[in-house]
Amino acid sequence: MIGNILLTLALISSVFAGVMYYLSYKGYENTLKPARFGFHVSAVAVILASAMLLYAIVTHQYQYEYVYNYSNNDLSLGMLMSTFYAGQQGSFMLWLLMTSIIGVILMNYTAKRGDLEPRVMMSFTLAMFFLLVMVSPFLKSPFIYLWSEPVYISIKSVNPIYLSSPLLQGQIFQNTATGENFVKLTPHLYATLKAAGIAMNDFIIHGKGLNPLLQNFWMQIHPPMLFAGFALSTVPFAFSFAALLKNDYQNWVKQSFPWTLASMMVLGLAIMLGGYWAYGVLGWGGYWGWDPVENSSLVPWLVGVALIHTMLIQKRSQKDGGVGRYAKTNIILGLLVYILVLYSTFLTRSGILGDASVHSFVDPGMTVYLLLLLFILSFLVMGIAALVWRWKYLSEISPGEDSLISRELALFTGAVALLATAIIVLVGTSAPIFAKAVDTSFYNQMNLPIAIIIGLLNGLSLLIRWKHNDNKLVIKNLTMPVLVSLIITGLLALFAGLNNLMLAILTFSSLFALYVNVEITIKILRKKPLHLGAYVAHIGMAVFLLGVVASGGFSVKKTLDLPRGQKVAALGYNFTFVGYKPIENGKKFAFEVEVTKNNSRKTLLPVMYMSDYNNSLMREPDIAEGFLKDVYVSPLGYSDNSTKSKGKEYVLKKGESVVYKGATITFVGFERSKNAIQNMQQGKPFYIGAKIKIKKDGKEYEALPKFQNTGSGGKYAPFTVKKLKLKVNLVKLNAAGSVTISLEELGKANNDGVLPDSLSVEASIKPLISFVWIGVILMVIGFLISIDRRSKEARA
Amino acid sequence: MKTKYIFGGVIIVVFLAIMAYLFTQTNISYVNDFSRVMKTNRTVRATGSWVKEKNYVIDKQKNLFTFYIKDAKGKVMKVVYHGTIPNNFESATSMVVTGKYKNGYFEASDILTKCPSKYQGQNKKSSS
Repeated sequence: MIGNILLTLALISSVFAGVMYYLSYKGYENTLKPARFGFHVSAVAVILASAMLLYAIVTHQYQYEYVYNYSNNDLSLGMLMSTFYAGQQGSFMLWLLMTSIIGVILMNYTAKRGDLEPRVMMSFTLAMFFLLVMVSPFLKSPFIYLWSEPVYISIKSVNPIYLSSPLLQGQIFQNTATGENFVKLTPHLYATLKAAGIAMNDFIIHGKGLNPLLQNFWMQIHPPMLFAGFALSTVPFAFSFAALLKNDYQNWVKQSFPWTLASMMVLGLAIMLGGYWAYGVLGWGGYWGWDPVENSSLVPWLVGVALIHTMLIQKRSQKDGGVGRYAKTNIILGLLVYILVLYSTFLTRSGILGDASVHSFVDPGMTVYLLLLLFILSFLVMGIAALVWRWKYLSEISPGEDSLISRELALFTGAVALLATAIIVLVGTSAPIFAKAVDTSFYNQMNLPIAIIIGLLNGLSLLIRWKHNDNKLVIKNLTMPVLVSLIITGLLALFAGLNNLMLAILTFSSLFALYVNVEITIKILRKKPLHLGAYVAHIGMAVFLLGVVASGGFSVKKTLDLPRGQKVAALGYNFTFVGYKPIENGKKFAFEVEVTKNNSRKTLLPVMYMSDYNNSLMREPDIAEGFLKDVYVSPLGYSDNSTKSKGKEYVLKKGESVVYKGATITFVGFERSKNAIQNMQQGKPFYIGAKIKIKKDGKEYEALPKFQNTGSGGKYAPFTVKKLKLKVNLVKLNAAGSVTISLEELGKANNDGVLPDSLSVEASIKPLISFVWIGVILMVIGFLISIDRRSKEARA
Repeated sequence: MKTKYIFGGVIIVVFLAIMAYLFTQTNISYVNDFSRVMKTNRTVRATGSWVKEKNYVIDKQKNLFTFYIKDAKGKVMKVVYHGTIPNNFESATSMVVTGKYKNGYFEASDILTKCPSKYQGQNKKSSS
């Protein structure tokens, strides 16, 4: 209840803050302080509400629908944290929390910079407001009580001491299909229980649990990071909009630059953390699948990074006086980043992508759908209206030309290439709206040439100077990097199997960028460490692209069947399935696979388990990570061959035949051990076998499955025809003189004819995938250095 | 000034043309009527539910996974997938398969299983 009050308070005070900021912008006196107060109240209320939600989750307050739906008693503390954003309400709550925190920081930042605060905070508060509506008690608050609408609760969730209570008379129902029992919880039942003095969190003592795919470390950092990125993306919009309001495009670039850098660093890192989750936990076998959910957050990132480059040009060209180059472009891109974030949310939350994505989204209902639409449209209309309003002036201030060979033009072309990529991804991802979809080859084919251009510009732009250049000097500077990269690419083509032309060109372009950036980094490392940011980030980009080429173009994979204890050679390694062991209190099973090559030996533990949550077999890969290559083992299935046969059964009389997979199988007759009848009567060991003749491809084989009695009890012993990989099980000896047999095709049997259990896996070798992660880390470091430098500049 | 715009314009037109071409080449439409899936020779994406009665078969040697799905009208189609059984296959409420129908079966390049994200406790029930 307090949670809902807090959220309502936050909503009201955000409206108040927004109105006050507007009035303050309009020049009314004594409005700025109330605005700040309103915003602070709103932010504090959100933070408190979030703390309450977390507390409710951690202390298992199942009276809340959200806690009941997404957690249970078995989850560890870390996993309970993930519950916070496992559902729709909670993920909006997390986004809201991040927005509030960033809002407070942004307020302090803008308050120190003249009349900036009301203009910036107006649109930022509006974003807060929309998010607050999403989680408001009137719509879909995470603090809604479980009984607010009649709901069926599994009997397992109800405290057993109350089950026999007369209060529950007639409230227990059974699902006829599954035999599960449910209690129908209604507001009426709640009132009855309350009257009887039974507290709800004593009555319901277990929740439904958390989606197993979310139960891992990466899911504890990826969503918070992503929503922090989303929240930070609001800032470029707020600054652009503020600049349009004042019709002043001079200072906003400098002021918003560190924010734009920070938002893109966080968003980019969040995207790649999601990629690592897909690789290491989901078992995609890669970090990127062009899944609409990934794509939709990549688009704002690409636009934001393009913005960083054009902002840099504007900032630099301001040295010549005036507002500088590309003022219009920067305003538009600044507005676009957040609109694309909202569009991404709309795509992934509205249920439109239902059939297109791995992530299964529950249709959130019409209200949420319309509200999300209203959210985007508000910001879109605001942005466009302000642009139209200022368009004429903006067009007038755009000054002259860039020289053909100048760093300005190279940077601008780079930004255009990034935007082209964004458009490609956006078009492909939006296709489901028109009931279409594109194959992933669309993205790969379209983006490959652009990646090459980006790589080349990445290097080239640093070799040429701002404004004008001496062509001869440029060519002189180009010689070494081009030569070195060409030689390395050639060597890779000759000795490392780099045989795809486009990938070879991309390798060349990445190596070129790498060479140029490393050279500059070394040169300025001592002198100007603060200027290193861009170069380190670009080294990261080049390394990342090399990792993409190698792991994307030259991974090999193979499905292997691993009988226990047998070495299976594949892909240059030996794989041995050693055995399995229960982990996490027997909830999961880790399958031990030993990977050996020459003298190196590594044990991998891919995991499989049945999840109660969705009644499915869950599989988790394990990876032997190395600098040069990863060995990736993804479990497919485990077959325990010692259990009773599940093959096809046949009843055969003496002399009768049956055809099974091209083999004619005939029951010839019984074969008994000596004195079988006598021994049977005396309780001594004996056997009765069924003589089976098998004809296949003109050859004859014989099988003798037996009924064996050791004296104390009998069992059926199957017979395996090794050459045919056929297992003949004796199921029953019938009194009428017929036998029931079952036939089964097998994998490889070992020498004893006994079939070991086996594990089937998909093994793959992924070269240089470590470069992808190293590249990402370098980019983040580069961003950090740049943020440091640019925020120092923004202080001046 | 003018040459710059012409140059830029040409690049944009070429870019859009290539994108439009590749889009039509790789675009996959949703066809949920299996009788239509069986007639077309284009790559399509079809949604259906698994026919549990006809069990699935996993061929480890050839790495094939075969099963049957039916559409809303009850039309059944055999699906062969080069790969292994996807996670959540057994509990999926419906699945989206991408591929082509030929030689009497649907050759899927991709299977997407749709799972109920929550327990559907409100299914048919009878009073006990």
